[in-house]
Amino acid sequence: MFEKRVKLGYGSYNELSCRYAKYIEKVKKAFQRGDIVLDKFSKGVAERILGTVLKYGGDFAELFVEDRYSTNISLKNGSVETAQTGRMFGVGIRGFLGDKAIYAYTNDLSEENMLAVARRVGEALGEVKLGDLNLDLRKKELNNRHIIIFNPKDVQKETKVRYMKNAYEAARSYSPVIAQVVVNYWDYDQNVLIANTEGVYVTDERVRTRLMINAVAMKDGQMESGFYGPGAAMGPEFLERMDLEQAGVRAARIAVRMVDAQPAPAGRMTVVISNEFGGVIFHEAVGHALEASSVARGMSVFAGKLGQQVGAECVSAVDDGTIPNAWGSANVDDEGTPTQRNLLIEKGVLKGYMIDKLGSRRMNMPPTGSGRRQDYTYAPTSRMSNTFILPGEYHPEEVIASVDYGLYAKTMGGGSVNPATGEFNFAVNEGYLIENGKVTRPVKGATLIGKGYEIVQKIEMVGNDVARGQGMCGSYSGSIPADVGEPTIKVREILVGGRNQ
Amino acid sequence: MKNKQFDDFKDTVFALAKKNNVEVQISYSQNRNFQLRYQNGDMDQYTDAGKFRINVLVLKDGKLGASYTETFDNPEKVFLDACENISIVDTEDVEYFYDGSGEYLKLEPYDGAFENLPVRDRIGYVETAHKEVRKDERILMDMAVYGDEMNERRIANTLGLDVSFVDGGGFMYAMAVAKDSSPRSGTEFTLGKRPEDIDAAYVGKKAREESIALIGSQSVKSGKYRIILRNDVFSDMLGMLVSMISAENAQKNLSPLKGKLGEQIGSNIFTVKDLPYHPMSISNAPFDTQGVQTCEKAIIEKGVFKTFLHNLKTAKKDGVKPTGNAAGNGIAPINLYVEPGNKSFEELLSTLGDGILIIQVDGMHAGANPISGNFSLGAKGFKVENGKIVRGVEEITISGNFLEMMKNMEEVGSDLRAFVGFGGCIVPSIIVNEIDIAGTM
Repeated sequence: MFEKRVKLGYGSYNELSCRYAKYIEKVKKAFQRGDIVLDKFSKGVAERILGTVLKYGGDFAELFVEDRYSTNISLKNGSVETAQTGRMFGVGIRGFLGDKAIYAYTNDLSEENMLAVARRVGEALGEVKLGDLNLDLRKKELNNRHIIIFNPKDVQKETKVRYMKNAYEAARSYSPVIAQVVVNYWDYDQNVLIANTEGVYVTDERVRTRLMINAVAMKDGQMESGFYGPGAAMGPEFLERMDLEQAGVRAARIAVRMVDAQPAPAGRMTVVISNEFGGVIFHEAVGHALEASSVARGMSVFAGKLGQQVGAECVSAVDDGTIPNAWGSANVDDEGTPTQRNLLIEKGVLKGYMIDKLGSRRMNMPPTGSGRRQDYTYAPTSRMSNTFILPGEYHPEEVIASVDYGLYAKTMGGGSVNPATGEFNFAVNEGYLIENGKVTRPVKGATLIGKGYEIVQKIEMVGNDVARGQGMCGSYSGSIPADVGEPTIKVREILVGGRNQ
Repeated sequence: MKNKQFDDFKDTVFALAKKNNVEVQISYSQNRNFQLRYQNGDMDQYTDAGKFRINVLVLKDGKLGASYTETFDNPEKVFLDACENISIVDTEDVEYFYDGSGEYLKLEPYDGAFENLPVRDRIGYVETAHKEVRKDERILMDMAVYGDEMNERRIANTLGLDVSFVDGGGFMYAMAVAKDSSPRSGTEFTLGKRPEDIDAAYVGKKAREESIALIGSQSVKSGKYRIILRNDVFSDMLGMLVSMISAENAQKNLSPLKGKLGEQIGSNIFTVKDLPYHPMSISNAPFDTQGVQTCEKAIIEKGVFKTFLHNLKTAKKDGVKPTGNAAGNGIAPINLYVEPGNKSFEELLSTLGDGILIIQVDGMHAGANPISGNFSLGAKGFKVENGKIVRGVEEITISGNFLEMMKNMEEVGSDLRAFVGFGGCIVPSIIVNEIDIAGTM
């Protein structure tokens, strides 16, 4: 499942790190601070917890410690209505026996309680017991790829509110039919420590900042809304660098165009899906069904199809958790495996899956750095990070010009899928008709549905304008930040659920 | 509940509040949670866990600042964070705390019946469902999930409020996938407060039967159809109504029901209530998240819109009594209840005669817009002719407007069922006399 939209515009990452080289010292300090927060977990404690699991059962144990500080601010009608900060703090303890997994979490962090939880995990696995375990955890120093300039804690809340108000003003003044604008701000600083009985002992800090703008237009008793929600694995400097006015205008534009739109036509037709957030089609139609959580037990339509032609030749796609400061990136996944760029589909041929540690055991394939979770209250499983279709050869104008009659899905909403059957759906938040190769008039209320394995074969043209957009992906291990992305694409035929004329 | 630690934390924060001349409210919630998921008969996930959270709200000059924590360490920092958050709040809205005066409903707290079950029994539920699903060789894949939960809540503030409650229960879900030209999935679930409420064999059987019945599904021609929304589907779609009846949303121009109190907004057979208690629900509550008493009320009575749902702030603003529907930062019913009609599900089918029975809608989070009421959703179901199910229907969407749909409601069934989502939801199936369907035939 994927929820809401959009854009990046990070510019050059290298340029960013050079320009702010002087802040690197500060960044290092932030990391040290992260370690201090987690310092209740000396290697000794971690070793005792892991050892306790294995003493009672299982052949693998893992510890995940999380300390997260979040800020949420909500602005309605130009005024801040709610402001909340908070700290989440807890541990997750997991054990494997073969390909069985037991997970427990707690936020009673007394060593006595944590050892009792570890013992329960081991006992639930039962059967296999190892003798005395000699664990030698060695901390791995990560080469941090995601430079944070300002820790969210160090930026005044007034500054965050100013960003929100700038976006609000731009959206509000875009048109007299805008009746309401809601702007939400969210940031967090998540420090994790991950240790396991294979010798992994690593810490990582994940900082995220996001602005979510929702504009409502009202005209002749009709109400329509438009949304734009840019985010990044950056501190509030992300908003400092962003064009906040354009962001507000973008949300307002969608609402204003849609309040004048006629209902979308119903039936099968050719659909051109715009770049960046349009990539939600790949995320739903294909991505979820390539996760080990579905593939390993044969619960996916793509299980057992590696090396086979599953899509049109113009389709190549990757999942890349390494992109500097991208919304879905991290240095290591939530199982301590370094993230990587995974080639999923190359010229229509299925090349790889997204695999976590448990999936790796079940599939007998190496993990791909894809073990993710919302927070310590979820066991990790295979998830997407930043997933997108690679660019093709056409200019977006050519793609549109090639269509006699169809739908131009300019802004997508969220979607969902059943990986076992491939049935997916997603909403078009801003749509237009294409007639004789030209975009003619706005249409609203279109939902696109189909079966993933069919749709990926029906992609006929792939543009050269690849971009990524941000959203929250929901699945077994909770709701996590993930990028979707694509260039403009054309799908020969897809069912559009509009109104009958 | 860690009463001693909570009391110490509370006393520290209350003392700080007094010193700083502000009011403060502390909520404590503790959750125990067990979940098992099997795929194709093998354990896929097993979670056994617990956690707590403390929320601190500071009220100063009608403005609220919030902060939460998951450790009893450092109450001072949590209090100061909440105070600091007040400094950026610049809304004209005035917030209140409730002093806890008046009587509360005496509800039986959840007794942790599932909590005390041996793990073997809980595994037994999923194994039973799995075996039941697999009784047909056309089944390709299956999934079975069992879970139970226990939530303890306590809210106390410096005006004298101090209330607590325990709720919880167990649930079970099964999915069967049958072999066909495209795989066909059928699902079923159940929930209850007592282990005997969970009939694992029934859940497995229903999931299997549904997936098998869908073999040979085809789409339909695009057009306008009479339909049955099965109770589970109707409960999903009522999520739109929940957003519309929030007084907060109305006051902020985010509800199409704004200004429609007292108007006929739905068919005269449509009555919706909010109930603090219903025997089928596992989310009953004597008070809302502000500690205000919950109460029974009609929201829509015979199609006439009777009341929005309020928290303390929105009630004051509209000059009415709070309705006990605060839900964190939002507003929600405790148990949304649609008054049943007389016809059983089978009688609804014969009343429908020719049409489509909708058994699943997808994409409520994206394809339904509670601000405009418009929806366009992926769906599947069965084609009904002469009151009989004739075949499965796949690859369709249903589109319309929720406000129009309330007016087009033709029959309400007697087949009440309990669901969870936004609090509890207890609803029957309904007949809608016209809806747009897009299909590929």
